[in-house]
Amino acid sequence: MKASHFFRSAPALLLAVTLSAQPSFEGPAPVVTSVPAEDQRLAAYHARVDEVLQWRAGRVDLNNIPGTMDMASISILLTLGRDIEACNERVLQMMAEPGTGPFWMFPAVCVAFTGRELLSPEARASIREAWRTTRQLRGDTENHWVMYYASLYLMSELYPNEPAETWYTGRSSEENLAEAREWLIHWMDTTTTVGQGEFNTTHYIGEYAIPMLFMATWAKDPAMKQRGRMMLDWMFAELAAVSLNGVLRGPNARSDEGSVIERWNALASYFSWLLFGNTPAPQHYGGWGLYFAPMAKNYVLPEVIHRIAVERDGDYVQRDRARTRRFWRYSDVLSPPVYKTNYLRHDYAVGSTQGIVNDVIQAHVWDVTWREEDPRGKHPTMFSLHPHSSGRMMQAQFATHPEPMPVGVTFEGKPSYDSPDKVLGGSPYEKVFQDLDTVIALYDIAPGERFEHINGFFSKDLCDLTEDASGWIFARGGNAYLAYRPLAPYHWIPYLHYKGGWAKVRDDLGGQVLTSPHLKNGTIVQAAGADEFESFEAFKAAMRALPLEFKLEPVPSVRFTTLRGKNVAFTYGETPVVDGVPLDYAKWKLFEGPYLNAEVGGRKLTVTHGRLQRVLDFNTLTIKDSVRE
Amino acid sequence: MKLPRLLLPLFGLLAAVATATPAYDFYICANINRNYVIGSKIVTTNGIFQRTDEGGWRHFGYNDTSITAVAFDPRDRNVIYTTALNGLWRSLDGGATWRICNGWDMTEGREVAVDPNAPDHVYVAFTDGIAVSTDRAQTLVRREHGLPERGKFTQTIKVDHTRAGRVLAGCEVGIFLTEDGAQNWRRVHATTDTVNDLQQSPHDPKVWVAATQSAGALISRDGGLTWTPFSGVPTERALYNVTFDVTNPDRLAIGSWAHGVLTTEDGGKTWTSRNAGLPENPRVWRVGVDPAGRLYASVFQETLFHSDDFGRTWHPNDLAGSLVNYFFTLPKAAN
Repeated sequence: MKASHFFRSAPALLLAVTLSAQPSFEGPAPVVTSVPAEDQRLAAYHARVDEVLQWRAGRVDLNNIPGTMDMASISILLTLGRDIEACNERVLQMMAEPGTGPFWMFPAVCVAFTGRELLSPEARASIREAWRTTRQLRGDTENHWVMYYASLYLMSELYPNEPAETWYTGRSSEENLAEAREWLIHWMDTTTTVGQGEFNTTHYIGEYAIPMLFMATWAKDPAMKQRGRMMLDWMFAELAAVSLNGVLRGPNARSDEGSVIERWNALASYFSWLLFGNTPAPQHYGGWGLYFAPMAKNYVLPEVIHRIAVERDGDYVQRDRARTRRFWRYSDVLSPPVYKTNYLRHDYAVGSTQGIVNDVIQAHVWDVTWREEDPRGKHPTMFSLHPHSSGRMMQAQFATHPEPMPVGVTFEGKPSYDSPDKVLGGSPYEKVFQDLDTVIALYDIAPGERFEHINGFFSKDLCDLTEDASGWIFARGGNAYLAYRPLAPYHWIPYLHYKGGWAKVRDDLGGQVLTSPHLKNGTIVQAAGADEFESFEAFKAAMRALPLEFKLEPVPSVRFTTLRGKNVAFTYGETPVVDGVPLDYAKWKLFEGPYLNAEVGGRKLTVTHGRLQRVLDFNTLTIKDSVRE
Repeated sequence: MKLPRLLLPLFGLLAAVATATPAYDFYICANINRNYVIGSKIVTTNGIFQRTDEGGWRHFGYNDTSITAVAFDPRDRNVIYTTALNGLWRSLDGGATWRICNGWDMTEGREVAVDPNAPDHVYVAFTDGIAVSTDRAQTLVRREHGLPERGKFTQTIKVDHTRAGRVLAGCEVGIFLTEDGAQNWRRVHATTDTVNDLQQSPHDPKVWVAATQSAGALISRDGGLTWTPFSGVPTERALYNVTFDVTNPDRLAIGSWAHGVLTTEDGGKTWTSRNAGLPENPRVWRVGVDPAGRLYASVFQETLFHSDDFGRTWHPNDLAGSLVNYFFTLPKAAN
């Protein structure tokens, strides 16, 4: 096997990191096309872990401990065995004013465990005392609960046999442990039978991976330790299978305003960089990624998953199931199923979800994303959506009155929720169909909705954008040819970019939003590889020749022969028909594709690449590796 | 009508409050941490506050931004229950220490009520139904027979003061009644959106009122069996809560984000907007009346306002930036 330049130079890289501490996020983009031998693979992984540890430790100023030491840096210094006195001092300071909720709990757990042999008795006691005095909020999302219960589980194991009055819960160590264990197993059961509610998240992946790494590392119970390790495999296998050259593209159960456009700029890219080495690390390793690093060497990415991420045999379709977040109101089902389609090629990928809105605020339902060798600063994606904003949908998924949340969430890391030109979020008025690299999105917006139009995103990085007389809009994105067909009249407005969910200002970096102010509406997007045609003009000609009929009344409806020769009929609110056969979503498996396969209800994932196979069986809590003949 | 012995002091007190030195305790559940999100450091004090004799507010219990309601054991004021994001919490020592009463299968408590005629019995409204304890919340079980499988988001739950085990609940699809301690529920009034608040009159326990999201305000004069809308109360936007004035049976007030404060002083025949003196577009989160007849309005992300003339003039109270989720009045605890 030919090792990539990146991996062949891993020892040199490690040396360079040690000497100059140049972080990867400032270096050149890696070029990875194959997985090296096991020892080189592991060495390169460890080099990246060490880079994170050294970078963060190097930013600590012992003359400015409060300003430069957070719980991530304390954990890292403890892992490195450095500056223990400073760690003691800072722990005492921080535990005097503990935070509340899962985003405080898991960092505190990281400090407690990395420091259990190194911190002073006073510092350790201060951590323990904070878990008595300060009420911890469990939160209201799946990721909150994973962080909360993994943290409560581990702290209860760390301090067993302690009475109820020594915990903020008013329950004994054993009671806390039992409740946490029960929920964690319940969550794993749900995830491995009907899927995650927060699937393919650009940022929240860390809120799952970090607690699971902690479980895999520190749980005393061998079964829970094994569960943590298997869930890491499960999540990283999915990341490997649906990322494009390390970049997690859509669909995403939850994303944010920044990464839905600058697709690479997400915590998911930290995990791709760290585990697969095939994309640059995000700046400062994504922030939360620092909590994965101290214990990262306790997890070894299985080779089969690594190969899925970087060595693909060709184009493939992955069809999966997941579920929505909980609907407290306005739904016949608590967590209805969501059906995912991903089609990945070398130069681009197309993905979508079909079904009900899975997250009212941060869902990203579909896109075409093309490959950029260095994705930093690029906006390599195209999609449309209905900018939906409503108190009623907020009430469906939150315990709230109708009025406060649409505006309130804009101050809580979701700044564009109530903006007419937003490019993030699900809508109950959008229905999507995908076949390979064709997407049809239809809209039937109720009159009186807050925003009575749809938005289509057109990147600054598109080339040769042409509004063709045929009605198609043609453009090139990287090595992908793109055709976008609006089904109703439109006009253009500038795209203004939020760098992320907490950004206070919007930047005009280029790009446009196609705005179509019509309630009955639709978008057709067809992608193709540039290498499939003699020229861009040839692609355009092929698209113009494709049979297309559509109408918008009484509901939007499309009949289209795709570039791949499929005869597609799709009417808003009805089951799509392909070559005369209605799609039967009920038959979709939990995972189905060349790399990942699982039955609904099975608690078992088979991960396959070439001759390698790994079976994660949560029924028996076993991992079985095999090499097929 | 014969009132249970436990309730006699309350109604006696309420009848006398206008003339005697106030002999009551007045509590609020308030979040004073503007724009708090999960993970933020709490920089203010939140949770249960008791009004002091000097007119200020004394905090006790945990600093929790998410408390939605409070209830006390009528036999022992040191036994306190609160609903909050994590579910139901109970203190046996006046708020010094607390225990979470529910497991992971119950979350986001909306309201808690103690049966004054069976004080070991505690009823809890959750986002997905109703739970009951018969042992002072040492154990908590779901009792939902008669509730719909879907549509049982429960925002409010109130115990009839006149009879043990008689409870009304405001859910997504209507008002539900149990008369056997939640063994069985039946819908007594259907709605298309959530019933946000239920209150029993302190003057006539047969009279109940409800505030709803899309059906306006309702009144029942037969103990909650049948309901009719108040005319003159708008229905097109949500009403968040409703309250009686314990000093005057003709006075009620409604709080609403869209409509601000609405009051009646003729038993609901006519309603008047009482927003003059409140911030523009007042976005009222909740209204309350203390046993001296002072009307309070919590204005979203502003402050707590009070009025001594039932809404004609308003004055800023304390607790800038507060969000009051609950007003609660009890006979003053014995020293």
